[in-house]
Amino acid sequence: MIHLDKISIKQLFCLVILTQVGVHVLTIPYEESKNTGYDAWISVLLCGVIGQAAILLIYLLGKRYADRTLPQYIFSIFGKPIGKILNLLIAAYYAVSSLVVAVSYSDVISRWMLFTTPWYVISGVSIAIAAYIASSSLRSIATITQSIIVMFAICFLIVVISGTGKGDWRHFLPVGTHGIGPILKDTIFAFWAYAGYELLLYVFPFVHCHKKKNILIAMSAANGFTTFFYVLISVIVTYTFSESQLKSIPEPMIFILRQFKWPVVQSLDILFMTIWLGVTTVTVYVYLFLSARYLAFVRSTEIRNHSLLVWGLAIGCFTAGLWLSDRQSILRISDYFNNVSMIVSSIIPAILLLVSLARGKVERV
Amino acid sequence: MLADSSPVNNEKILQAMLSHSSDFKSSDFTAGDRHYRLYYIDTMIELAVVQDHIIRPLLHHPNIVIREAVSILDYRETELLTDAAQALVEGKSVVQIDGEAKFYLLGSELKKERTVNIPVNERVLRGSNEALIENLQTNLNLLRKLIATPDLAVKYYQLGTRSNTKVAVLYIQSLANDEVLKEFEKRIGSINIDYVEAPGFIQELIQDKKFTIFPRLLVTERPDRVRAYLMDGKIAILTDGSPDCLIVPVSFWAFLQSPDDYQIGWLIGSSFRFLRIACFILAISLPGLYVALVTFDPRILPFEITLTLQSTMQYIAIPPVFEATLMLLTLEILREATIRLASPNSQTIGIVGGIVIGTIVVQANLISTMMVVVVAFTALASYLIPSYEMRSAARLLTFPFILMASVLGMLGLELSFLLVLAHLSRIHTMGIPYFYSGISADTIKDTFFRGPIRSLNRSKESMAQDSSRIRVRRRDNK
Repeated sequence: MIHLDKISIKQLFCLVILTQVGVHVLTIPYEESKNTGYDAWISVLLCGVIGQAAILLIYLLGKRYADRTLPQYIFSIFGKPIGKILNLLIAAYYAVSSLVVAVSYSDVISRWMLFTTPWYVISGVSIAIAAYIASSSLRSIATITQSIIVMFAICFLIVVISGTGKGDWRHFLPVGTHGIGPILKDTIFAFWAYAGYELLLYVFPFVHCHKKKNILIAMSAANGFTTFFYVLISVIVTYTFSESQLKSIPEPMIFILRQFKWPVVQSLDILFMTIWLGVTTVTVYVYLFLSARYLAFVRSTEIRNHSLLVWGLAIGCFTAGLWLSDRQSILRISDYFNNVSMIVSSIIPAILLLVSLARGKVERV
Repeated sequence: MLADSSPVNNEKILQAMLSHSSDFKSSDFTAGDRHYRLYYIDTMIELAVVQDHIIRPLLHHPNIVIREAVSILDYRETELLTDAAQALVEGKSVVQIDGEAKFYLLGSELKKERTVNIPVNERVLRGSNEALIENLQTNLNLLRKLIATPDLAVKYYQLGTRSNTKVAVLYIQSLANDEVLKEFEKRIGSINIDYVEAPGFIQELIQDKKFTIFPRLLVTERPDRVRAYLMDGKIAILTDGSPDCLIVPVSFWAFLQSPDDYQIGWLIGSSFRFLRIACFILAISLPGLYVALVTFDPRILPFEITLTLQSTMQYIAIPPVFEATLMLLTLEILREATIRLASPNSQTIGIVGGIVIGTIVVQANLISTMMVVVVAFTALASYLIPSYEMRSAARLLTFPFILMASVLGMLGLELSFLLVLAHLSRIHTMGIPYFYSGISADTIKDTFFRGPIRSLNRSKESMAQDSSRIRVRRRDNK
């Protein structure tokens, strides 16, 4: 029941893009510019390239175990005990990720849109809706995501149109003066923004395609698009703000949207943030879904009651979220998550692939 | 119960079986040395048929086998009294020869039906003007004429343990999906109910259990529409006594399509289709959007428009949420009132609704003018949805949207949309997803737009099994 049907390549494409983009669109390139300043867009671009490499790893790994999901084949790589612990850790990672995304966006909303609404109401409602969606089958999730791509397209248009406001191309010059070191250092901050492609570790066997290669192409296209989108935003922001401004504005995109006026819509930022909620919700529910699925394989037999797991996790997330109401703790956790997501989305697949290759012959038999 | 050889005893038992009904009659006649007894229910038989094709030949040919004497196609022999009683109820005449423990059941039903009329609920500007009627035989005749292929399967079912309603299930053998068919047969076979109200009961009894306000079976009264769906590999259900045909399984998008779309050019058809979908979205969200804009985020609108809005709301004491709910409720009441009312009275409703509620309410500063405009527009938009069931669903959805918008503003509206999307994606009909996003390249052809017929050869809506089937074969111009 959890996967009623397979998902199509197009749905995979939408799923990956919308899982990747989320709250970060508003903050990019604030965090990435801590060391690099106006060269932040290079860091963002670089991170997309690294993500592409990780996708290749995940694809190779998935191809070796084309009929199973990671929580299932992890046992044949690491054995039962370590596999279970890893599943639990990954499940925890996803649960906390979805919490952090939901909480960060609630934070944005309560600061920019609904000032008087109690903070926990916003996070509660968004987590509840995400849980409702996450408790459905993968196919339903893919369908919903495919529909939300319309909202994403609207937001994309808003960003592109409003980005062509006042600015100065000289903000970019001279390119690359911050040096390779800081640029690489800031790449780490972008990891969390790119995280999402590792969902392939789970969905690989459920993608309906004629050739397995199409999966790689779709994944690369999705990651390429996300990279393009992020770099575009970085460029728009750097074009509009100078380095000193950049350092003091945590949510530059909102500022840009706010100053842009259409004849029928006065504050685009509110419209944007409203529609963007749909896009962030994708990230939340995909993570919640994955978390529940990884958690299902923690015991020796698979736990079949998917919706119970999802709602349990959601309630847990919401309760944990009640303590995260102040901005500082969100920022701290976000910082911490840059590293964790790098580990989960790139390093773990690499290790898995290496160990699996080492055990390659066993797999063939 | 087996028949007795004495007609007198049989009559007594039959009378008891038919609850001593007064219209149960019998008549005796003798031809040669044979005594016949004819049982019938006189309200159910065609008198001329009985006289000309049963009694007369029997009188003229004494001592002949009944099968050879009567000129009636529907002929059956039975020894069971229960069969005879059932046949009597269906309008057959039952003949017995004195001394023989056997009944001859002869078809002599009286047929009362209205003529085939033009469709009332699904009017079109172009296309056929035939509508289904209450008689199952006539309906099947209409459909068989439209689909003249031996591939068209017609299966009868008897539903209702007391009413014994005849239900016909139609599908095209080579196109219908086997799994859907199996699932459907399982469901219709498991219905155990004393009588059937079509299409409502059947609809409720065969659809999936999951709770939803969206219709999952399409109801139509147009034979040409039934044909279009049959050609897509779907199943049509006709019930005796109901002019509505049920189509399963259909997706969400089928409810926004109209037969008209396919009769005019695809560009115009597409624009009307698009208009309809836009109006569906407006019908569920416009009052909510207005409430959200007015109560939470007037900042979104330009300053001048905000001023206009404010000026209309200046003297209104009621909060916009209640204004919207009240006006929509009034509208629903008016609508419901006009449907059931005799037509001379509906003018009164028009005056009460249009003048009193529309104008005076505004003059009395109860409801703002803008709200009346919004509500009127919402109502108009909802009437663009071709399916009555979907229209009702859309109108009902408006209320939760208003509620959410009044609590969380624009955000609530967005969340409601997400919720509706999520809900739609979770529904299944006959094991097939109900909703698919209409925006990807291969689905957009027949969802948001009505693509050219050449491109529709493999639309997503079609679940025909034969994948090589092409609706339009392109002729190579060499």
